Amino acid sequence: MHMETKLNESIAFSIDRQVSLLANMTAQFANTLNVDETLRNALCEITNYMNAEGGAVFLMDEATQIITCVACYGATEITGLKLEYGQGIVGKSVASNQGALVRDVKNDPDFYGAVDDQTGFTTKSILCAPLSVKDRCVGAIELVNKKKADELFDETDLKVLETLASSAALAVINARMARALVEQERVKRELELAAEIQRRFLPDAHEAGDTIFGINKAARGVSGDFFDYFKLPDGRIYFGLGDVSGKGINAALLMSKTASLFRCLGKTVRDPGKLLGRINAELCETATHGMFVTMVAGIYDPRPGCEGLIRLANAGHEPVLLFQNDTFKTYGADGPPLGIVPPLPGEDGAYDEVQVFPQGGSLYIYTDGLTEGYTLTGHPLEAEGVQHILRQYAHESLTTQLDRLVEAVSPDPSALRDDVTVLALTDALRPVHDSETKVGQNETDHGAEQDGDWLIDFKFPARPGWMKLARACVRESCQKVGCNETDTSDIVLAVDEACQNVIRHAYGGPSDEEIELTVRQRPGRLVFRLRDFAPMVPPGFIKPRNLEDIRPGGLGTHLIQEVMDDVQYLRPTQGEGNLLRLVKNIDVNKKGTSKQ
Amino acid sequence: MKIETKEVNDIVIFELDGEVDLETSPTLRKNLLKHVNVGKSVIVGMNGVAYIDSSGIASLVEAYQTSRRNSSGFVLAAISDSAMRVLQLARLDKVFTIQATIDDAVRSLNS
Repeated sequence: MHMETKLNESIAFSIDRQVSLLANMTAQFANTLNVDETLRNALCEITNYMNAEGGAVFLMDEATQIITCVACYGATEITGLKLEYGQGIVGKSVASNQGALVRDVKNDPDFYGAVDDQTGFTTKSILCAPLSVKDRCVGAIELVNKKKADELFDETDLKVLETLASSAALAVINARMARALVEQERVKRELELAAEIQRRFLPDAHEAGDTIFGINKAARGVSGDFFDYFKLPDGRIYFGLGDVSGKGINAALLMSKTASLFRCLGKTVRDPGKLLGRINAELCETATHGMFVTMVAGIYDPRPGCEGLIRLANAGHEPVLLFQNDTFKTYGADGPPLGIVPPLPGEDGAYDEVQVFPQGGSLYIYTDGLTEGYTLTGHPLEAEGVQHILRQYAHESLTTQLDRLVEAVSPDPSALRDDVTVLALTDALRPVHDSETKVGQNETDHGAEQDGDWLIDFKFPARPGWMKLARACVRESCQKVGCNETDTSDIVLAVDEACQNVIRHAYGGPSDEEIELTVRQRPGRLVFRLRDFAPMVPPGFIKPRNLEDIRPGGLGTHLIQEVMDDVQYLRPTQGEGNLLRLVKNIDVNKKGTSKQ
Repeated sequence: MKIETKEVNDIVIFELDGEVDLETSPTLRKNLLKHVNVGKSVIVGMNGVAYIDSSGIASLVEAYQTSRRNSSGFVLAAISDSAMRVLQLARLDKVFTIQATIDDAVRSLNS
């Protein structure tokens, strides 16, 4: 009876202490996000309360499942000790989510003796409880040896430790959740910042007047689409639009890179086809696993005499739409998307270009977010829907037209399926010059194939120092086909003069850019083609001068026309530049000039 | 192109040799203007001109016009066939004063 009362009193006392310890610990955990320190405090209270020689807290990294000792108290210092999931008594306890009571450590197969070997400490009995809430286990608390030498841990000790451990586990899990929330918030803030920076990549509205306008609406904060345009110093407008495969931050990063390459390289590479080739090479060099970019690049030439020529190159992108005289024309992709096929060694990998004469019409480039976007009816807009809207608002400004297009696929702006980007360019605002010399599409150079037998292909820098060699080439080919001396000298002079015109007028002075000279023989005549890669020179610009007006300069064009039987200013079929086709009739049987 | 210059009785005599083209004509122009600008009479001997283009012709035209303003003489002499052909094509063969030899040119200026 006496014994029983004493036992009951002792149990009551111990429950009382246990409850107050639990309450104290829970309060500490609730008030802090600094779990490590709180765990350390709790550990020493628990160790003392349980009359243990030492204690340790282990936490598991839920991603790697490595269990690390984060705090120690008493007997041995093993902070930093790492255990595999399931290794040792602690690892097993974590893996099985069950407490362990080992009273005969030496004979327990799970005992991990390495620590004793290193520290010289003798482990007699071990108590271990998982830090777990329901099925989720985040670590364990381990106690070693009762302070009294002959005492061992018992089942009651295990029950108590398990109760305390679950309270600590709750605190650890709460702290981890709080940290995850903070991290999520931080990532969200960073995404917002990234989206803000991306928006600044887009050109300012009306940077190039009302001629060109674009819209980019991102389905998420950051976008995998972009458009850009800028004015070249000569007055032409460079524009581009791209769509990166995939969504999210990786697409956004690749978009940023592509947009930067476009703006940077575009300032010097003034052929859209070559530009796409260069961007492709760059993207392939730093390949991003399976990601690619579809893109359209183009140059619009609103200058007098250039008829609003648009040169377009399309790398795997949606067809470009031209609305002209109430009809639609499309220009599809000529090459693969960027970032997939690297250029062959030694080649520039330029994409093909098409030439478009808009004749007052408008050009529309868009991403598939527009055609695949859901309208109010629940169906995608499709290319037909795009054309329908454009026809309906044909007489509105570009800004209004694009607003209507984007509205059509975002009845609920917060529920966009994909990024939507549209770029539009109109030729309607270009002043028409009555005096300008018309060079129609039919006057592009289609005759190259039929122009006869090969005599010379010669490419050289547009510098005076190269003229001597160019003359020698022309002289050689004239003599080869049997021209007399007078004709030969005349032809050499005329071709030389034509090259000088290129250097002076097309390139605006000596340049490292090239002049391409080809000579072909046809029955009864020689055909010379002189091509440059300069911006288009309006044909009316190069005129022979009035010979009555005697002054230095301006003689060259007169000499060319005096010598040659046919002089034509043409447009190259591929790429930028000017092409001059000169024909000289020759009669190798007669001695003397064929033209007097 | 090579230029040889000598001065006889206030007349500067140039003898050109080789090719006068876009690369070399600036040198010719500078040399001609140096003398015509100070009112000297000039003879340009063109016997050795294997080739001349519009930029070379332009240098001659500019010097000729300057000398006329200064009322000094400017004569082309001993013109090679190829140079003559270019002057004809440019319809300048009737504009310049042309003499068959340099001696003829000197005589014409002294008379």
